[in-house]
Amino acid sequence: MNITLNGVSRQISSPPLTPLLRVLRNELNVVSAKAGCEAGGCGACTVLVDGRPQRSCLTAVGSLNGAAVTTLEGLGTSENLSAVQQAFVHHYAAQCGFCTPGMVVAATAYLDAGGSDDKEAIQEALGGHVCRCTGYLKIVNAIAAAATQSEFDLTITAEEPNVVVKTGGR
Amino acid sequence: MKAVGARLPRYDGVGHVTGQTQFVDDVRVREMLWAKALRSPHHHAAITRMDTSKAEAMPGVEAVITHADVPLLEYGHLSALGIPADEPLLAKDEVRYKGQPIALVAAEDADTARAGVEAIEIDYEERPTLFDVRKAFDDDAPTVHRWGNWYPHFEGEMDRRQIRKGNIEEAFEAADTIVSGVYRPAAIEHAPLETQVSMVVPEPDGRLTVYSCTQALYFSLGVMAAHLQVPLNRLKVVGGTVGGGFGGKVDTASETVTALAAMKANRPVKWRWTREEEFLASSTRAPWHMEIIDAVTSDGWILGRKMLTLHDSGAYARFSPYGLTKHSFHHTGAYTIPNLHFDGYVVFTNRVPTTAMRGFGVTSVSFATETHMSRIADVLGLDPFEVRLKNANRINDTSPNMITYPDPSTVDVVLSIAEATDHSLDDAYMSMSRAQRSGDMLPEHLAAQIGEGHEHASLHALVHGVDNDSEGN
Ligand code: FES
Ligand code: FES
Repeated sequence: MNITLNGVSRQISSPPLTPLLRVLRNELNVVSAKAGCEAGGCGACTVLVDGRPQRSCLTAVGSLNGAAVTTLEGLGTSENLSAVQQAFVHHYAAQCGFCTPGMVVAATAYLDAGGSDDKEAIQEALGGHVCRCTGYLKIVNAIAAAATQSEFDLTITAEEPNVVVKTGGR
Repeated sequence: MKAVGARLPRYDGVGHVTGQTQFVDDVRVREMLWAKALRSPHHHAAITRMDTSKAEAMPGVEAVITHADVPLLEYGHLSALGIPADEPLLAKDEVRYKGQPIALVAAEDADTARAGVEAIEIDYEERPTLFDVRKAFDDDAPTVHRWGNWYPHFEGEMDRRQIRKGNIEEAFEAADTIVSGVYRPAAIEHAPLETQVSMVVPEPDGRLTVYSCTQALYFSLGVMAAHLQVPLNRLKVVGGTVGGGFGGKVDTASETVTALAAMKANRPVKWRWTREEEFLASSTRAPWHMEIIDAVTSDGWILGRKMLTLHDSGAYARFSPYGLTKHSFHHTGAYTIPNLHFDGYVVFTNRVPTTAMRGFGVTSVSFATETHMSRIADVLGLDPFEVRLKNANRINDTSPNMITYPDPSTVDVVLSIAEATDHSLDDAYMSMSRAQRSGDMLPEHLAAQIGEGHEHASLHALVHGVDNDSEGN
C-alpha cells in the first residue's frame, strides 16, 4: 500500500493493523510524532490525514491507502517556519517540546479550517492535547496570535546573543 | 545583566516547533533491539522460583537480564555520599512494590520482547502490605523493609532526623495558647509526556554510548558505573533533551538495566516505558504526614514548635534521607522560632519509591507551615499578615539547622503580597524591613538566637546534618 507523506509517495510494508505512529517512526523513520501514551490519551502523536488531525497511535495504517499524511516535518522548516511555528517560538509555547509536534499540527488544522483567535474555541479545538510543562496559556496565546498574524519577531535583543534564530514566512 | 529585559528566544525553540529536536526515542541506530520488563504484579511478595529458560530460547529474544547478571546488585543514589544502599537493580528474592522490575527481555521487536516476558516462569508468595505511614510503627505492622519500617542510618545510626534547639519545655510553659495541626499532602506522579527511556549502544572500542532522558546525567554516570563495575571512561552518557522531568527523572531509572542487555546481546537496546508503566512504576513525589504543635502568645509570637514528620519513602530509600533532611532544616518555614523539637522519619511502605519533585522535601513543609501560620492567626483572632511579619526571618536570625540568615526576604515578600492584595496594615508593619530585629520586633525570646549560627550550609551538612543537630533527645 501507499501513502503520500508530506507530499512524497511512500510504500508501506508494515502489516495493515500497525498503528500509523509506529509506521512513521519505525518503518519510515519520520519521528516528529511522539509516543506519549500510545493509547489516544495525550495527542503527542497527532498528524494530519487528508488535512484533518488524527491520533496516529490509534490509526491502523491499513485504513490509509492513498491518503495524504502530514507530520510536523511537512508544515515548515527552520529556514521557512509557518506562522504557527513562529508564534510558538515567539510566545514560548514549547517548553520541553514533547507535546509540541501534536500541538502545532492540531493548531495548524484548526486555523486552516478557519479557526479564529477566540481563546475558548482554541481550547476546545486543542482539547485532549496534554502538555505537562507550559500550563497551556502560552500555547493558547500563540495560536490566537497566529490566527491574525503571519510574521513574528524572533530576533534577539540581548547584547551578546549566543543563539541565532532564523526567521521566515510561509 | 544583559539578558534582563531582553527578549531571549529559547535556544531549542525552533528545533521543538519543526520536529528536529532529538529526544532519546528519536535516535536511530542500526540493529536495535527493543526491551520489555517483567514487573512485580504484587505490592509485597517473596519470589520463590524464577525460570527464564523458555524466554531465552524464544526466537528473536537476544538477551534476558535478571539480578544474576548485575555485577553490583545494590547501589544507592546517595551511596557516594555515604548513605547505605538498599535497592536491588532488579529484584532478587523479594518484591516490595507493585511494578518493581524483576527481569528485562531484549528482542528484535517490542512484541517479541513482550512475549519473552510472558514466557518467564515465576512464582510468588504474597506477603502482608503496608501503605499508611501512620501504621508503620504499630506492633502488628508488617515489616516491609529489611531495615525495618523506617530508615535507621542517619548519622550516628539514628533512626530519625532530629532537631533540638533552645528549650522547648520553657516555651510551652510560657505559652498563652497551643495551636496544633496535621497536614498530609498526597503523592504526585510527575507525569512527563516523555516516559522513562534509554538506549544503550555498545561501541566497537568496548565503550557504551548511553542515550538517556535523565535530568541528572552525572548521577546516571556514577550509578551505572557502580552497578556495572566498570570505570567511568567506559560510559559515554548522552543527555540534555528531557521530555519533561519535574524531578522524576533524577533517579537512574532505566539506563543500567538497558546497558546490561546491550552488553549481553552486543547490540543496541532501547527500553522505553509505556504510559502505564510510567504511572505504575516510576517514582512519585512523596506523600507526607506532618504534625505541628506550636506554643504561641496571644499577641502572635511563636515561642516554640514541636513537629513530627513521616516521610513516605515508598519501598526503598533512594533520595529520601536527603529530602527529609532538607525538610527538617526548613520546618519553621520563612519564620524564626527559637525553641524547636523536630523528629522526622523516612518511613518505608509498599508504595513505589518516592523521589524529588520541585523543591524536594521543602514544598511539603512550606504547605504545612504556611497553612499553620494562617491557622495560628485564626485561633488568636489576629491578622495573618501581622503574625507572619512578626515572626518573619530577619537579618542575623538563626535557622533550625543553625545557619545565620544573611539576607532573608520574608518581610519584603509578605509586604508585597499585602500590597498586591490591597490588604491594609498598620504603619508599624508597613514600615518593617528585613533589618536585624530591634525594638518591638525583638522580644526577649528571640534575643539569644541572633547571630548564633554558622555562615552557610554545605552539601555535606544537608546530607549528614550539622554538629548541633543531635543533642538532647
Ligand atoms: S501517543 Fe497517541 S494520543 Fe498519546
Ligand atoms: S512542552 Fe513539555 S509537555 Fe508540553
